[in-house]
Amino acid sequence: MRALVSLVDMDALVESVAAAVVAGVGVIVAFSLAVYGAARFADERRTGASGSATFAAAVTLVALAACAIAVGVGIVIIVSDRV
Amino acid sequence: MGDDVVLVIVVATALAFGFTNGFHDTANVIGTSLSTKAMSPRMAVAYTSILNFAGAFISLEVAATIAEDVIDAGGISPTVVFAGVIGAIAWNLITWYWGLPSSSSHALIGGVVGSTLAAVGTGAVLADGLVGDVLVPAVVAPMVAFLIGGVAIALVYRIVGGMRPGPVTRGFRLGQTAMGGLLAVAHGTNDAQKTMGAITLALIANGTLAEGAEVPFWVVVSAAVAIALGTYSGGWRIIRRIGMRVVKMDAAQGFTAQGAGSAVILASSYVGFPLSTTQVISGAVMGAGAGRRLSPARWGLATNIALAWLVTLPAAAAIGAAAYGATRAFGTGALGPVVVTVIAVVLVVAAFARRARHGAPIPAG
Repeated sequence: MRALVSLVDMDALVESVAAAVVAGVGVIVAFSLAVYGAARFADERRTGASGSATFAAAVTLVALAACAIAVGVGIVIIVSDRV
Repeated sequence: MGDDVVLVIVVATALAFGFTNGFHDTANVIGTSLSTKAMSPRMAVAYTSILNFAGAFISLEVAATIAEDVIDAGGISPTVVFAGVIGAIAWNLITWYWGLPSSSSHALIGGVVGSTLAAVGTGAVLADGLVGDVLVPAVVAPMVAFLIGGVAIALVYRIVGGMRPGPVTRGFRLGQTAMGGLLAVAHGTNDAQKTMGAITLALIANGTLAEGAEVPFWVVVSAAVAIALGTYSGGWRIIRRIGMRVVKMDAAQGFTAQGAGSAVILASSYVGFPLSTTQVISGAVMGAGAGRRLSPARWGLATNIALAWLVTLPAAAAIGAAAYGATRAFGTGALGPVVVTVIAVVLVVAAFARRARHGAPIPAG
């Protein structure tokens, strides 16, 4: 086992796993919040609750912006490291 | 002159591998979008092809790993790379013929390692690169994709669980259009680089490039074109197996599987791990679908897929070694690669013709 570990670049492995878990779960959850906000916005607007509808719309926009920024930053980091 | 002819044949063969890689693997990328009806097949294939092409330009770390970290390019000739790529193409086509989504990446690495072992023994195989950059990530990455898919889908259901299903499904289908695009970019990033790596390895082995040299731009462009054309040509058998048969998904699960797969492939591309995108996407699909019980028939399919993965490296290595032996039977010049190429083309055409006559190979279930 120790011999196997000595062959592996543990820093690169841990870095890629951590980045994948944080970015993957983060973007999926953020987009789910956007879907939640959009569905909630439609429901609240139908019932005339304008305050709640505005809040739901804001949740959607912030969550979508978070997704876009996370993906954009990720791509920029990969491109900027191109050998 | 003879060396140049061999090099041209190696480049053409590597681009053919890139084409079969797109043809064979990329169908997995769009399987989840088709399964949940987020996109029409025609649109999904065109969209994925274009983004595969674009993805090929964003990183060169994986190409560097293939070209420098697995095989000592100074210890082999372009003929060895040729035989290895022939092994990979042969295994890709065998698994395509039977509808099995094995890994093109592992086929390439297995093929080149096999031909290298046949040519010069163990001396030119870099064990630490093979184990550390290929084998360990090959095991870890699908498990990470499974974990991300499983954890994320649990959170997704907690967030949207109380909402009306109609708007939620529409929202996630829209999300799948975007996330499917990101997955195509990720696939292009990791898989097109394998073709670039093989060509660069041959250029270094031939003495055309110095060891450690940057991948030439014409190699990047040609590899991107090859994988995009392969994708466009389609691989419908494998779409059916991954996207629709192993796990029947809803739109939230499809989105989650695509997100988990994209994250793992992009993070691995960043550090230069040449992953099997097929395995990663399958792990993500299984993770996102883990909340639903799989039928015994579906587990049987998953088992067949796992077996195909297990035999890919040794099978491609054996074919690569045999291809090297067949090539050297005609001497050290260009005649061997020419003859083996002609034989390979005849076998490929025969396989396509037979498949066209007999239809899809996948049994129901």
